[in-house]
Amino acid sequence: MPRHDTQSSPAEGVSRRSVIRGAATAGAAGLAVTALGGALSPAAAAASTRAPARAAAPAAAQAGGEPKDTGGPIVVHVRNAKSGDIEVFSGTSQTRLRDKDLAARIARAIG
Amino acid sequence: MSSHREAPEISKDPVADSTDVYAFVSPDKPDTVTLIANYIPLESPAGGPNFYEFGDDVLYEIHIDNNGDGRADISYQFRFQTTVRDPDTFLYNTGPIESLGSPNWNRVQTYSVSVNGRSLGSGLASPPCNIGPLSTPDYASLAAAAVHSLGGGISVFAGQRAEAFYVDLGAIFDLGDLRPFEDLHATFGLPKLPKAAGVNATNHVNVHSIALQVPISAVTRSGHPTIGVWTTANRQRVTLWDADRGENVNSGPFRQVSRLGNPLINEVVIALGDKDRWNSLPPADDKQFAHYVTQPGLAALLPVLYPGVFPNLEALVKSGKPRADLEAILMTGIPAGIIKGFTNFTGSVVADMLRLNTSIKPAKSPNIFGLLGGDPAGFPNGRRIADDVVAIELRAIAGVTYPLIDPKFKPDGAAGLLTDGLTPASVSASPLGQFPYLGVPYSGYSTPS
Repeated sequence: MPRHDTQSSPAEGVSRRSVIRGAATAGAAGLAVTALGGALSPAAAAASTRAPARAAAPAAAQAGGEPKDTGGPIVVHVRNAKSGDIEVFSGTSQTRLRDKDLAARIARAIG
Repeated sequence: MSSHREAPEISKDPVADSTDVYAFVSPDKPDTVTLIANYIPLESPAGGPNFYEFGDDVLYEIHIDNNGDGRADISYQFRFQTTVRDPDTFLYNTGPIESLGSPNWNRVQTYSVSVNGRSLGSGLASPPCNIGPLSTPDYASLAAAAVHSLGGGISVFAGQRAEAFYVDLGAIFDLGDLRPFEDLHATFGLPKLPKAAGVNATNHVNVHSIALQVPISAVTRSGHPTIGVWTTANRQRVTLWDADRGENVNSGPFRQVSRLGNPLINEVVIALGDKDRWNSLPPADDKQFAHYVTQPGLAALLPVLYPGVFPNLEALVKSGKPRADLEAILMTGIPAGIIKGFTNFTGSVVADMLRLNTSIKPAKSPNIFGLLGGDPAGFPNGRRIADDVVAIELRAIAGVTYPLIDPKFKPDGAAGLLTDGLTPASVSASPLGQFPYLGVPYSGYSTPS
């Protein structure tokens, strides 16, 4: 069962749904860069930033409705893809997710 | 330095690097306290065309603990916003800046102030940097116009100032050399050095200061005149380089990246492996670092660096007795009954804060050695602009204050003489006689690099 824990979240809560939706927006770049760190060459990293957007678009549709306007990027940090430990940042809020499925999908999205 | 570039991580982030904190009863308004937090170490005055400025992405804070638990009861927060009026020129200014509203000033910074989440003011002008006689022809007046009244008797200033802290960095960081005593230095088998006058490495550099003047009644609890003061800088957890836009994107909650209360603590007391973590924690968590204060490495080093000069200190270090004197001075405040008529004790919580007993009136003839010089209005009772905190802490660590807890201990003769050879006269820019007290910053035009 996915679980999430929101910290220091003033008004802008971030849910698993908004993460999936947000991946289709500007935050998708952060998703790939943060998850990969220094593991990729710049060229490979640049190429990979496009992949999640394509992969996440169906997810947004799956979740239903238009992506919520967060007023800025959503940044996803997959701390541990195997355990599904994910941090999601938006505005001045931070949410900690434990979602193996989402982490696996993100990992697949970056190739 | 007091806290300039004092820890590995923050040394790479100058706009968030706190350098000095001052807290004193305002000499010209003794019903107020002045609190100053300096940032951005060692600004070269000619450092253009992108002159120094506060970080728009940094949350700056000045905290006050008034119940002795090492946690903030009052937090003043400062956020900055930079506006570029004309992005099509490389110039910081396109003509003389003769007022804060000058259209010639191209890169303008304003800020907001809040206390415990309540807004005190916004859109407040921060002055430009002091560039030179053509760009900032009357800098003193220009900066004076940037002192804002926030109501409730509070004044605020945020902008460039002359560095007031004086220290012989070049010698001290060369294996603890104090030039006036360097003929006594061990020199590790290398040729002896002749003793010499100190060199103020922080002369002719600027900092960025956040200064507040607040009624004492607004920061103290009734019957408890002593406050603990420190500053922090905070960054959002995520910084992402947006290569498409050529700028950073920040996201997530703010987390503390810099902290400063007493001078020189994270600089020369906390060990290298703990400095970054220390910067991320509140004073309330300082018990875990107390051993650095009660068994200071510098006390053990002095007899090694200056063989034969500190035999009594060497014996004290070898005895393993904890330095309760230093713990009182730096971590709890000095309890009543130790020094006649004086206390700045805040309780048993071990916490690095600059403690100021606000009931002690400003000295008519301040002594730069503060309490060690018989002047209870100076460091470690708060800290004034001119206090010689380097000499005070050196002397305390060398054992001068140990008799406070063990009257039988006799400090070494040299302990009471320790100095890096500098005085307030080593600072070229004179302090102001009124808020914000720190001197007019050095201009790029007139200051040799």
